[in-house]
Amino acid sequence: MIRTPIRTLTALAALAMSSFFTPAAFAQGEVLKIGLVSPQSGANARYGAFANKGANLAAKEINAAGGVLGKKIELVPGDSQCVPAEGVAATQRLITFDKAPIIIGDVCSSVTLAMQPLAEEAKVLLVNAASSNPDITYKSGVGGYKWTFRNYPTDEVRAAVVLDHSVKNRGFKKFAVLSVDSDYGRGAIKFTKKYLPKYPDAQILSEDYYKEAETDFRPVLSKIRLSGAQAIIMYGQADTTPIVARQMLEMGLAGKVALVGNGEFNAKSTIAAAPKVMNGAVEAAAWLPEWQGPKSLKFVEDYKSAYGGEMPNNHAYVHWETLHLVAAAIKAANSLKNEDVRNALSKIKYESAMGTVTFDDHNQAVLPMVLLEVADGKPVIKGAITTKVEYPAAAK
Amino acid sequence: MEFVLEQVVNGLITGSMYALVAAGMTMIFGVLRAINFAHGEYYMLGTFAAWYVIERLSIDYSVAIILGVFIAALIAAVIGRFVMQRLIGAPFQAGVLATIGISLILQNSVILAFGGGYKVFPGGWIEPVEIFGLGMAQQRIVLIVVAVVVFASLEWMVRATRMGKSIRAVSQNIECCQVNGIDVEKVVWRTFLLGTALAALSGVLTAPVNVSVYGGMGESITLKTFAVIVMGGMGNVRGTLFAGVLLGIVESLVAGTLGLQYRDSVGFIALLLMLMLRPQGLFSQKARF
Repeated sequence: MIRTPIRTLTALAALAMSSFFTPAAFAQGEVLKIGLVSPQSGANARYGAFANKGANLAAKEINAAGGVLGKKIELVPGDSQCVPAEGVAATQRLITFDKAPIIIGDVCSSVTLAMQPLAEEAKVLLVNAASSNPDITYKSGVGGYKWTFRNYPTDEVRAAVVLDHSVKNRGFKKFAVLSVDSDYGRGAIKFTKKYLPKYPDAQILSEDYYKEAETDFRPVLSKIRLSGAQAIIMYGQADTTPIVARQMLEMGLAGKVALVGNGEFNAKSTIAAAPKVMNGAVEAAAWLPEWQGPKSLKFVEDYKSAYGGEMPNNHAYVHWETLHLVAAAIKAANSLKNEDVRNALSKIKYESAMGTVTFDDHNQAVLPMVLLEVADGKPVIKGAITTKVEYPAAAK
Repeated sequence: MEFVLEQVVNGLITGSMYALVAAGMTMIFGVLRAINFAHGEYYMLGTFAAWYVIERLSIDYSVAIILGVFIAALIAAVIGRFVMQRLIGAPFQAGVLATIGISLILQNSVILAFGGGYKVFPGGWIEPVEIFGLGMAQQRIVLIVVAVVVFASLEWMVRATRMGKSIRAVSQNIECCQVNGIDVEKVVWRTFLLGTALAALSGVLTAPVNVSVYGGMGESITLKTFAVIVMGGMGNVRGTLFAGVLLGIVESLVAGTLGLQYRDSVGFIALLLMLMLRPQGLFSQKARF
């Protein structure tokens, strides 16, 4: 994106004009602007598209029921491209120009970590719905940032659960790491290693991180094949999983090396790319369409009828649920003052499709997450785990 | 030993792809003295066109190869006529600006038309076969065979055909060609068409094993191709083949030993070293074809 001074000037002029002609009462009285930062282009655009669709469905539902405190919710999207600098620019635009008092975002952990100080400084409520790096809430609430909340399980719990299941129930001892080179991918591995010493037989043989746009995994898969690893610990991008799976199939790794971790292993399109490889994959996810709760099943039906039969993914769900959660907090606060909404959120007991959501003193949601395995081309739910983080003394 | 051998084979495959794309870029540089910064975009266009005809029109992959290259070449023909031909004799900066501009326009048009998300490429011969105990998709063998055939034909073309000779002539001295009645504009246009078609062909052939298709996929290809043509010697087609394969093999060895995260640095380090130590390329001082 190249910005010339002339373009910036024109944009500023247009902005000045628009605020001049817009009646103030409409701008502030009728609608409540909520920012939604997500990757809408680049390697993670798929996440952003689902996030927007999920949140828009929730906004439509809330507005149809009369809005919040008499105001209609208006979602203002911002594109982060999953790049911290772009996410910061989008957040600044939402805070300065759109004057959004509440921002939901981002999907990518690296972007969310960069957005936190901005929200703190502007006293804007940042509610994250889909980033899993543990640091985000280690640094929130009593940890520092008072304005960041996260309604999503952290990778600390995820890493521990996946490792435990892989070692105890599946009997894997030799692991290779292949994760995305980001705060999410590296963070999850950091916490996997934290819990690894609990299993004296288990060891990590090799560690690789791929760049966002990587398409050739053969060199690493060759190494993994020769190393004799039984499973690949992968915290990766949903769009990259099919590439890895297909190249594993090519190299004859199907059925010999399992994928464990997270990266939409349970999605139909991922499994379809290489069913023989995906069978046996272990994943811990915040939600999946197969979850059998009445509220969850209704969401899937509503989403499908709103978007031409498309199946929602995890990111569609969490953004849908998070906007409903924010609306519930505003209603509980019975005020639009940001301070009141924040206090209401920290005390909330919200009934989500997965179970009751509360927030701990780090503003981290305590909520259930699903452990699943792929068998015969379909995800099978192995159990639900409540994700309460035990903070070490230093993080308090 | 088995490990090294495997990585060499892996690198050979990736390298063939780099070489195919870079051959076109280096030829265009030869006749225009301009680096085509939009080269990766033709790779993307070819792949996208093939994806489109398979996904939306249910056309078979083998036909989609031809259609993908054809559609990309069609777009290149228009750009060649209205932009690239005008770069003849223009200063270096004009070429940089024009091709970067085209790159942005092509990328964003595709994102606008088809959305920014990844698409899964549906076709291709992806059944694995085993050669000397190393499993690979049939598609990869096709890619290597095509690369060998293409380079052999390019070699023959620039030595034996009138078109090849005129390309060589234009890349050596434009004024002399004009005096001798060679239609420089036509030569530039044809070279550009051939070069971009090769990039598109490479894109369509690698798509089944790279699986994903999206608007920004050409960017990293342009950067790597740039490293390859500098290593091969700008304008040197034969050098490009060796440089491409060399980059592929070194990348694979680095990814397999140091770690995947260091893979992309290989091309950049090679580029820096070449520009510092041997800006004329690895193989020769002057020869262009």
